[in-house]
Amino acid sequence: MSAVLSTFDEAALPPELKDLLNSEDGAAFEHALDALVRQREQHLFRALGLLARDLHGAVSRLGNDLAQEGVPGRVADVRKHLNDVLEMSAQAAHRSIDFAERMSPEADKLAQSAEQVLASAAPCDPVADLARQAGSFAGACREGLNDMVMAQSWQDLSGQRIKKVVNFIESVESSLLELVRLTGALSGREPPPVVEKISGQDEADRLLSEFGF
Amino acid sequence: MKILVVDDFSTMRRIVRNLLVELGFTNQLIQEADDGNNALTMLKSQPFDLVVTDWNMPNMTGIDLLRAIRAEASLKGLPVLMVTAENNRDQIIAAAQAGVNGYIVKPFNAVTLKEKLTKIFERLAAAGASA
Repeated sequence: MSAVLSTFDEAALPPELKDLLNSEDGAAFEHALDALVRQREQHLFRALGLLARDLHGAVSRLGNDLAQEGVPGRVADVRKHLNDVLEMSAQAAHRSIDFAERMSPEADKLAQSAEQVLASAAPCDPVADLARQAGSFAGACREGLNDMVMAQSWQDLSGQRIKKVVNFIESVESSLLELVRLTGALSGREPPPVVEKISGQDEADRLLSEFGF
Repeated sequence: MKILVVDDFSTMRRIVRNLLVELGFTNQLIQEADDGNNALTMLKSQPFDLVVTDWNMPNMTGIDLLRAIRAEASLKGLPVLMVTAENNRDQIIAAAQAGVNGYIVKPFNAVTLKEKLTKIFERLAAAGASA
């Protein structure tokens, strides 16, 4: 045995092991080795037990939080808020484009009228000067309106990011719920109460009128 | 020239439409689809001369639409211009390998759109002349 372990530095071993290694009593050596292995296994199992207890505690707290604070409902709310942002920003962008589409033909008409006036007015006529100014103003407006339409692409770019966040929230939510479901931490709890929301000023006025406002 | 604009964002479809009109294309000949599936159905039911498509869309993405167009005998020669926020190198390569005719990274402007469209039609004319 000592020949096999000759590569180890025996001096570094604890004295009782050193004694055992050098002893003639094979049974005592086996016994001591078993005891050592058992001791290490016990440490490992104790550590695993603590980890399992911590994990169970954490998931129970999570389940508790989810049930008490209505987190699933709030996640749905957050998702709805983000979808509302998407919808509102699209509406705002469309309104800007509506405006540009309405004003562009007006600018074109002004440019045409200015050209007609210029064609028939004498070069030194103040009217010609005004027509020239109107023409260049119409041109600048047309260009600015085109730029304004193009600038609305922020809605598409920011909207795509919002969609990615919504998808991410969905996946986090389903993973959390799955974790809680697996441990049964949510079972038997009452769902959180639903908070009723009103859709706008009209509904607020209707509701208030019922109370005599 | 009949053009199909494909994008899941209605704002973007409208912007592309406005730009195309600004470049001299006829508003009434521009049609819209909100994903690849709907675009493919429209392309199969009526003739178009150009497709301007986004990449990221639900149901069928722009790259899948492009592949479907190239795989369909009646559509495979149709010019496809991709207009997308995807600036990932691999995706641009994938689009090129799938046979895209032009690739514009958002945000873009009328000048870029005009330049890419001119290039597409020049190449097609050259290919047609040499064929």
